[in-house]
Amino acid sequence: MAATALPRSETGLADRQRALGDFLRDASGAAAVEIARIGLLAGGAIQENWGIEANFEGGILAGSQRLVLRTDAATGVPSSLGRVEEFAVLRAAFAAGVTVPEPLLACADRAVLGRPFFVMRRVAGSAAGRPITLDPALEAGRPALAERLGHELARLQTIRPPRADLAFLPPYDGPAARIAEFRSYLDRHPQPRPVLEWALRWAEAHLPERLPPVLCHRDFRTGNYLIEGTRLTAILDWEFAGWGDPDEDIGWLCCKGWRFGRLDREAGGIAERAPFYRGYERESGRRTEPERVKFWEVFANIRWAVIALQQSDRFLLAGARSLSTAITGRRATECELELLMLLDSGGIAAHA
Amino acid sequence: MRDLPTSLDLLALARELLLDGLAPLLPPERKRDAHLIATAMAIAAREAAGREWTGDILWTLAEFYGELTPHPGPLPACGEREHAPPPAPLAPFTGRGRAPREAGEGEGQSSGLLARFAADLRNGAFETSRSRERAARAILWRLTIEKLREGNPHFLAANGFHDADGQEI
Repeated sequence: MAATALPRSETGLADRQRALGDFLRDASGAAAVEIARIGLLAGGAIQENWGIEANFEGGILAGSQRLVLRTDAATGVPSSLGRVEEFAVLRAAFAAGVTVPEPLLACADRAVLGRPFFVMRRVAGSAAGRPITLDPALEAGRPALAERLGHELARLQTIRPPRADLAFLPPYDGPAARIAEFRSYLDRHPQPRPVLEWALRWAEAHLPERLPPVLCHRDFRTGNYLIEGTRLTAILDWEFAGWGDPDEDIGWLCCKGWRFGRLDREAGGIAERAPFYRGYERESGRRTEPERVKFWEVFANIRWAVIALQQSDRFLLAGARSLSTAITGRRATECELELLMLLDSGGIAAHA
Repeated sequence: MRDLPTSLDLLALARELLLDGLAPLLPPERKRDAHLIATAMAIAAREAAGREWTGDILWTLAEFYGELTPHPGPLPACGEREHAPPPAPLAPFTGRGRAPREAGEGEGQSSGLLARFAADLRNGAFETSRSRERAARAILWRLTIEKLREGNPHFLAANGFHDADGQEI
């Protein structure tokens, strides 16, 4: 098992917990901080999330607090922001009125936990994809949830460059540059992927008109937001955020890979597209265009396929002994089927 | 000649024991691991029990290119024409093992043809010929469906893909 930032052994944990307590005390201006409980939260192949219950004596967090500490897992994936940068993105989203956990403190000093990390307020709710899409108790509330997600996405897109606080984000250079990156990756991949090559060729020939860039979450999907009942309580996991096209996150949310057993519900497995689009259009004042969304949905499937292949590369190329990441590469073929269905609808009847 | 029960039977029994006997005893945070293991076992079983399709695909590709040996390199962009010479006649494919398999001695030829096909698709080599483009798409469908038959047949079924007899794949 890979090493975690906070060791599970009692001795190692005591040392790190003391260092963490000192950091929380100094960064919050408290006279003292007592960590009552700390434990690794579920999920997080790329990042680790630790739940913390702590009592702050004075300072900006005075009182009893339930927090989440987020830091790098032992293995990351390309294109992921550092934790201090992710903290800055989270602050920008919070300030723009997006429903996110309140970001509180960040630490770049590796002397504390061995890795940079940040601390945010812990928010109630569950992000597990299948219960969100399949639990009958949530049925009536799902369209409103989809509409709310559209609203949230529009709020996020009020963040636009230039922004001094987000100056670390690379300038947006459009989908053509990312198509070139995907091809470059495929050139290094041990197996040819003809379906991906075919879809990339289509994407190259159908580049949408360029719009002014906005802040994209780039993993805006079911499984990355918390709900309590059917109420949205937080949008999570901002490590892939960057400047991009306003329709990129729309295509990603609607990508079939994120429908968790409800393939018929095209908005993240929770609803038709209509309520999601309605929430987005009402808040943004911008109409969604089917052809643009289609492009970004194709792009989403290509990107998810490449990410899946990169996950299995950790085993194939780097020798990581993780079944979870090794088996994820198989999901690339699911994306390829969806690409065929999106781009060759006439072929479905011949092969179904 | 091998002892019985077969390895596939043992694998099926092992999977049942894992899912029905062990998984319920695991703490919630480890149940996903049990299901991952079961998924890996199911893929292995389907690949071992399934028919050999990689040779079929390779044969189809060889037929598509009118040859049974790899081309030295991909075609230039838009390099195929409607009036390209027809593929060389081939004896009909009659069963497993006729064309080189994906693994073993045929791997070089297999990956060579597939790589050539991928490179030609990148370059749009078939876009000037409707028939070639249609034939290329048919290969893409077949390749993808065959992979998913073994890798995730539930996903195929959920997308409305069925066997010729109407059964879920």
